[in-house]
Amino acid sequence: MTPIDTSIYAAITDAIQTEAGRILSEGQVTAVVGYAAARRKGSAQPIVISNPDDAQKLIFTAACVNNLAVYLTKAKKEIPKTGKIGIVVKGCDLKALSGLMGESQLKREDLYLIGVPCAGVLGSTVQPATELTTGTIAAKCTECDAHLPTGCDFVPNQTPITPELEQKYAVEIARLEALTPAERWAYWQEQFSKCIKCYACRQVCPFCFCEQCLCDRNKPQMVETTPRPAGNTAWHIVRAMHLAGRCAGCAECERVCPMDIPLNLLNRKMAKELKELYDHEASFEVLDKGPLTMFTDKDDQSFIK
Amino acid sequence: MHPEKQTHAFEPKIIAFVCTWCTYAGADLAGTSRMQYPSNVRVLKFPCTGRIDPVFILKAFQQGADGVLVSGCHPGDCHYIAGNFHARRRFAVFRKLLEFIGVDLNRLQFSWVSAAEGGKWVEVVTDLTERVRAMGPMTEFKELAMEEQWSGAINTPELQEAYNSI
Repeated sequence: MTPIDTSIYAAITDAIQTEAGRILSEGQVTAVVGYAAARRKGSAQPIVISNPDDAQKLIFTAACVNNLAVYLTKAKKEIPKTGKIGIVVKGCDLKALSGLMGESQLKREDLYLIGVPCAGVLGSTVQPATELTTGTIAAKCTECDAHLPTGCDFVPNQTPITPELEQKYAVEIARLEALTPAERWAYWQEQFSKCIKCYACRQVCPFCFCEQCLCDRNKPQMVETTPRPAGNTAWHIVRAMHLAGRCAGCAECERVCPMDIPLNLLNRKMAKELKELYDHEASFEVLDKGPLTMFTDKDDQSFIK
Repeated sequence: MHPEKQTHAFEPKIIAFVCTWCTYAGADLAGTSRMQYPSNVRVLKFPCTGRIDPVFILKAFQQGADGVLVSGCHPGDCHYIAGNFHARRRFAVFRKLLEFIGVDLNRLQFSWVSAAEGGKWVEVVTDLTERVRAMGPMTEFKELAMEEQWSGAINTPELQEAYNSI
């Protein structure tokens, strides 16, 4: 367990507070979405501030795990309507925002992006006051290539020190791929059988913004809604499929899952396939079309007779 | 006139999702040309392969299909210009997902069959049917659909006794 250097987070907190206070008092934005200290020691929670005096409440620590992009989607209608919004984003969150802009859910000119140079955040199963080490860091951070967000309106002038870590998802995907189909089926059935259909994964996902989810429809019912094996399996397959080529890898689904189903593992697998097949990766770039909404006439069709 | 009909111990159910403009017409041609192909295949007609949602394939497996065939126009021949190109990408990704979940991809076949390729339709359907027949019934999804709610499993002797007395 080597500790990871998070000493820059104090300076980042100061910079965020100053910047948020400035843009609010100058009237550049009507509100700022950020992180504030929560009641448990060391924990953090999302906060929306509209008063410049409240800027002092904003923080950035290793416990700031949430992807705040979810507050700007269609699913949370009331916030974006109020005008230009400032938002604190880590690299992974910025990828989600870029994806949303690409899908015409948000406009860049309606946002004031406060980027955070991030060395990593804590995993979902550790106490919020824990020190950030190679053991307590979130699995998504072990594969992160977006420590320093670019294209933001403001980024504190800090450089995170990021050691090379063992890529947790890549290792697990390789392990599963080496198994036989029957063994993989058994593994996923064990995972899916834990599902209680609370839909927390859908609720927290920035890309699950459909007004009516296919899985909630009952005429015709495509996916059984009860937490039974058939419906659970279908839900997780449909979820992974609908996020393929869109998922930004913020791993919020996995973090919020009360039953600890490795949801991001499916998302990472799909991302890996899309990289291999169509050379697509989630990035800060705003793309007009995702990999599954476009095509070329030279796409692989070796599997088609 | 007709060849001797072979009987098998296991007749697989094959669901074919086909596009109305090419493969459906191709299957029609096979029929009007009096070509023989296995009657295991149930054809479902769609406007375009682009209309075929991956959920349909899941649903087919859950409802008892042993094999699924998805077939449409050759690239460039789509009646709606690009539907089959979109479908090609979608299914390329979807089959990778199914493979990762643990479904044997030999039960899932994709093909391009044009309206003139009655012979190819016969070949594709026969191949898939024989392959699935050799593999035996698809039990994974069916078992899931049959399984009781996890909280309702009869896992104690008392419950079993009460159940038997009903």
